Amino acid sequence: MKLKNTWRKTFGEQQRFMLMLIAPAVTLLILFQAVPIFVGGSASFRDWMLYNPKKTWVGFSQYASVLTDPAFLQIVLPNTFVFMFSSVAISLVIGLALALTLNRPFRGQKLVQTILLMPLMVAPVIAAIMVRWMFNDEFGIVNVVLEALGGEGQPWLVQRWSAFSVIVLTDVWLWTPWFTLLLLAGLQSLPKEPFEAAAIDGTTAWRVFRYLTLPMLRPVIIVCIVIRSIDAFRTFDTVWALTGGGPARETELLSIYAYENAFVFLDFAKGSAAAIIGALIILVVGLALYRILDHVRKMS
Amino acid sequence: MIKAKQWAVACAAGLSLLVGSLGSAMAQQKELRIAYQPNPLQEASIDMMLKWGEKNNVKIIKVPNSYGVYVEKMTASLTSGSDQYDVIWHNDDWGQLWAHLVEPLDDVAGLKYADKWSTDPIIFFNKDGKTTVVPMGQTLGALFYRTDLIKESELPKTWKQLVTLSKKLQGEGKVKYGFVGGMDPNSDWNSSLWTLWNNSCDVMKPFGSRDNAVLAKNGWTSAFNEPCMRQVVEFWWDALNTDKISPRGMPAYGRNEANAVFTVGDAAFTVADTTYWSEFNDPAKSKVAGKVGLAQFPIGPMGKNVTLWNELWGWAIPKAVPAERKALAKKMLSDIMLDEDGQLALWKKTGAPPPNAALWSKIAKTDAFMQSLQKYYLDSPHKIHSAYYFANWPAVHKAYNNTVTKAVTGGRSDIPKVLAEGATLVHDAAIK
Amino acid sequence: MNTLQRRFFDFFAPGARRISFGLALSVVCFLFAFPVLWLILTSLRPQSGVYYVYRGLDFTLDSFAQVFANERLVRAFFNSSVIATAATIFSILVTVSSGYMLSRFRGPIASGWFGAIYALRCVPFVTWVLPLYFVEQRWGLYDSYLGLLLPHIAVHICFFSWLMKGFFDGIDPSMEQAALIDGCTRWGAFLRVAVPSAMPAISALAVLSWLFSWNEFLFALILTGQHTPVITVVMAQFVSEMGMQWNLMAATAVLALVPAFLLTLFGQKYVIRGLKI
Repeated sequence: MKLKNTWRKTFGEQQRFMLMLIAPAVTLLILFQAVPIFVGGSASFRDWMLYNPKKTWVGFSQYASVLTDPAFLQIVLPNTFVFMFSSVAISLVIGLALALTLNRPFRGQKLVQTILLMPLMVAPVIAAIMVRWMFNDEFGIVNVVLEALGGEGQPWLVQRWSAFSVIVLTDVWLWTPWFTLLLLAGLQSLPKEPFEAAAIDGTTAWRVFRYLTLPMLRPVIIVCIVIRSIDAFRTFDTVWALTGGGPARETELLSIYAYENAFVFLDFAKGSAAAIIGALIILVVGLALYRILDHVRKMS
Repeated sequence: MIKAKQWAVACAAGLSLLVGSLGSAMAQQKELRIAYQPNPLQEASIDMMLKWGEKNNVKIIKVPNSYGVYVEKMTASLTSGSDQYDVIWHNDDWGQLWAHLVEPLDDVAGLKYADKWSTDPIIFFNKDGKTTVVPMGQTLGALFYRTDLIKESELPKTWKQLVTLSKKLQGEGKVKYGFVGGMDPNSDWNSSLWTLWNNSCDVMKPFGSRDNAVLAKNGWTSAFNEPCMRQVVEFWWDALNTDKISPRGMPAYGRNEANAVFTVGDAAFTVADTTYWSEFNDPAKSKVAGKVGLAQFPIGPMGKNVTLWNELWGWAIPKAVPAERKALAKKMLSDIMLDEDGQLALWKKTGAPPPNAALWSKIAKTDAFMQSLQKYYLDSPHKIHSAYYFANWPAVHKAYNNTVTKAVTGGRSDIPKVLAEGATLVHDAAIK
Repeated sequence: MNTLQRRFFDFFAPGARRISFGLALSVVCFLFAFPVLWLILTSLRPQSGVYYVYRGLDFTLDSFAQVFANERLVRAFFNSSVIATAATIFSILVTVSSGYMLSRFRGPIASGWFGAIYALRCVPFVTWVLPLYFVEQRWGLYDSYLGLLLPHIAVHICFFSWLMKGFFDGIDPSMEQAALIDGCTRWGAFLRVAVPSAMPAISALAVLSWLFSWNEFLFALILTGQHTPVITVVMAQFVSEMGMQWNLMAATAVLALVPAFLLTLFGQKYVIRGLKI
């Protein structure tokens, strides 16, 4: 009874309603995300080898060891940013083009749409293994086709540029449908009148896109870019299955670095510290990205 | 209102699922839970346990775990003192990591039949000098060749001969490549490591030593600056780039890719675990079935002896298991060491020499593959352990593999520079 | 292309634009579908032909027969569908209200909640997947349906709340205000007015949520054991240190594709109608 009174006194009627609305989500998020993250975060300040969890407090020394690791600074972070940028940019462009195409009626539109959504249906790990076989220099279909067309087969997964392209390509393949879906939904919710007016004026397609579609679609695009950038920054399982970070760390991303330290070298503390550093970086980058994109939108 | 009702129903459904899954775990019969990783060798060993369980009225519960996360999940489970498994898969790679977390097994009677080399104290003994493993089978890498292309008398004794023979076969259009073998961090035993050891070389100095005290006394020094190491790397660089006896993409190959090339008939030689013997000779899986033979490793320019490894896969019992179940599990592990029929079946099914070493000669009487395995491998006096047994070995191995990969995929003149950097990386990983 | 050019083009080559459009689209579709087609082709090859798929023309349904005969796989299919379906239902229940709150209210509670969602979304899985294993063991949830289900829902909360908020932003709140004036409670306005008008978004999220849960791998890998094998994990167990049964893996993957395909086929129109941020 007393508790109920305090609850009523502290929060107004509207605030109580707000809290009730999010209560189940908050509970789940605390139990299954915040608590584990807290445990992981706490581990990053301790001496916590998986086989010998002493759990003694060591302050920021795990963070120091990650931040002074030349491989982390010179290989892992640049790789992660290049991967994030290229994957998001390419899938945005392709996704937007496909959404624009699908936004008008043509024969077979539904079939095309279903086919384009196929990557969403495959488990990413399976897709990654599939791609690994497809790009094998001996039995991969890619080289077979290339050679049949008179080109030269490549040992795709042992050269930096090609291995990196393959992981980006896989990510683009997996996530373009996601962009297409969200952008198509966005396109279909745009008001019809400005487009009808433009059609009457005989405006060219490019100008309609540049001065009507794009500005009106920008809020959706911004949210897509921000969400997808965060996820691309954390990419793990596809790259792990595809290259394992190789050849010789050339495709090592942040999550792979963290995973390898935590679970292959069994240094859970250092792995957690690396992951948390990554989380802080993308937190800031994501916010900055949102601000910049939003600013550009307001300017134009 | 509707929503509250839905919630209630859904929660009830969720709870009943939970209770259901817990309930099924509670049975009356005595039981043992076996945590393993699904693959033929472990399945074959568990088959013996199942047979034993039937005879002794113990229910054997198989709990498969994925290989990719087996070590970390099991290590976490062991350190948290959980008794959810009674018998767990154990392996030389993490023999020392778990030595303090698993039960000493020196009182398991059947252990006296285990192979001495692979139960080396350096690998499996705990601080009190007691072993912590009971073997389930032996794993060793071996050189396989195509008997339809190469006569036994032509088999290469040196790397040079291997290259010459490979080029000859490739020139005649009989195979696309002379040699194929996994080279990625999980399978470089099949490429760089076997050549390393057969060039009287090693990952760290002094060569052949696995004693951590000795390694420490030598300052955890990498062998990357040694001439023998340079020869190894240059051999692979040439094999990939100029001699072209191996596929260009091989530095990224795991076992599966290498086996795919070999079993389709595109390579004359491969190094693989002997457990692949049956797969190579199974017409359903291999186009070279019946045309595969076993050969000795060729040695490098500085190699003094043909050197090989022979490690075990085994079982361990977590310390947290209650005493009664521990005793039961030990009895079972001891009894399956003595289960001759079961061990013969394991050999037939997997091509892994069974854990009871006393049976090897018996098998060899009727089995040609075991004969050559004994001749070239099991009876050989020059052995090396195929891993190191300190906690940073996974990091050292990764640094080693990265360096070799970088060296063989870069320019040939850059090799010394890459190796010098690698020496630092290996050293740093070891002392971390 | 300006109008003049277009007329010129249409005059000399009627239909050329349509044909080139169709061609370009076919190429794109082919590239998108190719890995899936290749997977299907692989699953039909005998084990000796799964790598060199293009060499040889022998095909077999043997791998599928083996998959169906594998009791653990059948159970995994069942478990995966139970978990994906339950995760979908519960995710929607919790995110509809959470998204509604984010859309309709301002102030510290709303912005705090949004900040929390955003921040939690940024943390890589590596940090919390192992601690999740620890806490689930302590709570006795490890290797149970709930133990897998609840983290799935938790993962969906961030993304789906965000999408739901976007959808509610697009719905005029005046209807709810009218309902409030008519004497409806806040809950009444939410459940009777806002939720029904959000049905398109709800069905969109349902489809996405089901697909994500069905294909989820990393959590399942760590949080499941003997009792709750799910399809992605069992598939991955065909890869082991001693070889890989890629034919079985491909066959299982193809079978796992079927429900996902049907769902997408029939669900996509709801998805597109409902996904507005």
